[in-house]
Amino acid sequence: MSDEDDIETPVLTEATSILEDGNCEPAKNPESVDQSAKPESKSEPVASTRKRPESKPSSDLETSEVLPVQASQAAGKETVSKDVPQSGWGYWGSWGKSLLSSASATVATVGQGISNVIEKAETSLGIPSPSEISTEVQYATGETHAKENETSSPMTGPFGVFSTISTAVQSTGKSVISGGLDALEFIGKKTMDVIAEGDPGFKRTKGLMNRSSTLSQVLREAKEKEELWTSNEVTMETDKKTHYGLLFDEFQGLSHLEALEMLSRESEIKVKSILNSLSGEELETLKQELEQLKEAFSLAEFCEEEEEEKKGDEDFTKEITELFSQLNVSSKPEKLARARNTAYEWIRTSLSKPLEEKEEGEKQLEAEKTAHINKNSIEDIHAFAIRSLAELTAYSIELFHKTAALVLHGRKQEVTAVERSRTLSQMTVMLCKELSSLSKEFTTCLTTAGVKEKADVLNPLITAVFLEASNSASYIQDAFQLLLPVLEISLIENRTELPEA
Amino acid sequence: MEAIWLYQFRLIVIGDSTVGKSCLIRRFTEGRFAQVSDPTVGVDFFSRLVEIEPGKRIKLQIWDTAGQERFRSITRAYYRNSVGGLLLFDITNRRSFQNVHEWLEETKVHVQPYQIVFVLVGHKCDLDTQRQVTRHEAEKLAAAYGMKYIETSARDAINVEKAFTDLTRDIYELVKRGDITIQEGWEGVKSGFVPNVVHSSEEVVKSERRCLC
Repeated sequence: MSDEDDIETPVLTEATSILEDGNCEPAKNPESVDQSAKPESKSEPVASTRKRPESKPSSDLETSEVLPVQASQAAGKETVSKDVPQSGWGYWGSWGKSLLSSASATVATVGQGISNVIEKAETSLGIPSPSEISTEVQYATGETHAKENETSSPMTGPFGVFSTISTAVQSTGKSVISGGLDALEFIGKKTMDVIAEGDPGFKRTKGLMNRSSTLSQVLREAKEKEELWTSNEVTMETDKKTHYGLLFDEFQGLSHLEALEMLSRESEIKVKSILNSLSGEELETLKQELEQLKEAFSLAEFCEEEEEEKKGDEDFTKEITELFSQLNVSSKPEKLARARNTAYEWIRTSLSKPLEEKEEGEKQLEAEKTAHINKNSIEDIHAFAIRSLAELTAYSIELFHKTAALVLHGRKQEVTAVERSRTLSQMTVMLCKELSSLSKEFTTCLTTAGVKEKADVLNPLITAVFLEASNSASYIQDAFQLLLPVLEISLIENRTELPEA
Repeated sequence: MEAIWLYQFRLIVIGDSTVGKSCLIRRFTEGRFAQVSDPTVGVDFFSRLVEIEPGKRIKLQIWDTAGQERFRSITRAYYRNSVGGLLLFDITNRRSFQNVHEWLEETKVHVQPYQIVFVLVGHKCDLDTQRQVTRHEAEKLAAAYGMKYIETSARDAINVEKAFTDLTRDIYELVKRGDITIQEGWEGVKSGFVPNVVHSSEEVVKSERRCLC
């Protein structure tokens, strides 16, 4: 393992070797990589971030054959340990890239390892404000592109997976990277595009997805670890409130995800057997039609609205309800809309003006309220933020599950599978954007409430909110992808016009 | 306190469409009665902690199934991993009572090789004036299948707690006696995390801190 001064070298080395040998075996983060990190980087887990389960070790792998996520995790560690002597924001860019690389691969491993990176990063670096993040991301994006233009092969990109993804996207002719995207949308879009595009990048991601455990398994393991941990640390009452996995389960997100996976799996098997039973022209026609569906699942709409438009409560409710009615399933998104609006209401209250600025008459009335608001410590805000993210994500996945059930077993359809897919992809984009702007609102709350706090107290909380928002977006996108086989079978069944029961 | 429970039981709630399965579960888990309710799509999920003895808590994962025939292929998949079940009929709807037999046959086929401890629930007992099924005949049917019988009302909160906790206790006894064992690859009963500190029971009331959703 190279241990040169150039911090990007390890990323390059590892990522390149993966890409070159195309090995798709899961690998544990090798010990040798760990050793390169400095001892002090073994910090205690920050209460707000959680450990994600490591993937199973594979016995006969060489050090260089690590998963992209772990590669970047390792890279993150190295970056951090080397950054320790340096302070300030000079190296935030590098850290951001590591995070982006990891996040881009969350499809496969649900962001495992990011927590580690962040725990270490934030202990030594601190985290910039939201606006700095987006600036940095744009900067990083530009830089990556510049590098890629120089080098024709994706393997030589400086940021491992990240650049591979950009290249994959570029090669399909879809311009997806442009200014104005914040970090979260950016990550989400990358993830999405990679999954959705039918190119080498897609296949690789797909490969990762198949051989690692399912999304719900990974989440379940994470939750169980959290349970175990919290049961051992029962004295720390507040900690439980910030465990995304536990909260996600409490809102029944895991159960709905498992149920959705089940429907997805069943549909996938059916589709395969139908395709196997066909041949010649019939097969080709069907394949073409299915290809249309896949296209609809590619979330190209991500780039359409670059403008930051802040949605009111009615707007969100209206928009999501409209999208749902287009689906023509009987399910309604009320629960989701309510949870979303509750979160915003809480934020508004939290950010409402302090006592002095109120008019004299209102003072008395507001006194009680303000007293309550003032009690919203940064810990409270953080806890509420994590809870809201878990809640919204769980309800989003519930909606996808219900949609799958209704597409499969609903009444006669007047909407085609392709139309539904487009609507669903619009909905996915919308939900991810919603999570993005919600997380920004929460971090605004945090920075407002925590002006007097030290950076090393405030920053980990801000990071955690962004991290969970980004994870949430990944979960939603993964859940969306689970709908593809469901719509495929729906397309086939409608098309064959068999006397369906 | 979410994380601390002795066991986790998975319970399934079945019965004809519109007998009030979802309302019963929501009364139990959310403590309120939902006046208007859309038909359940496929399957829904709820959970609650139940304290069966001081300091001994069981986490119940409750599977709410759609009564509609068209979702049967989805709901069937959930029998296998359930340790207990509530079989509901509507005391004002004779047809739903007559279908109890069919529901039991259906579960028998799909639960193999495991078993489900069922309780027969005559629901909507607040509507006594419209009653079409007598308590006596319901008890007789339940006894014939070795089930307990209980009459409940989600609207008036009658026997809702009792229906769930009695079933939970019965299962707990079977687990304690070793008649039901935790098995690999079966989700019906799972062992919880045993705390290293003894807790007061005040943490238990989970329903109080649930959001209003």
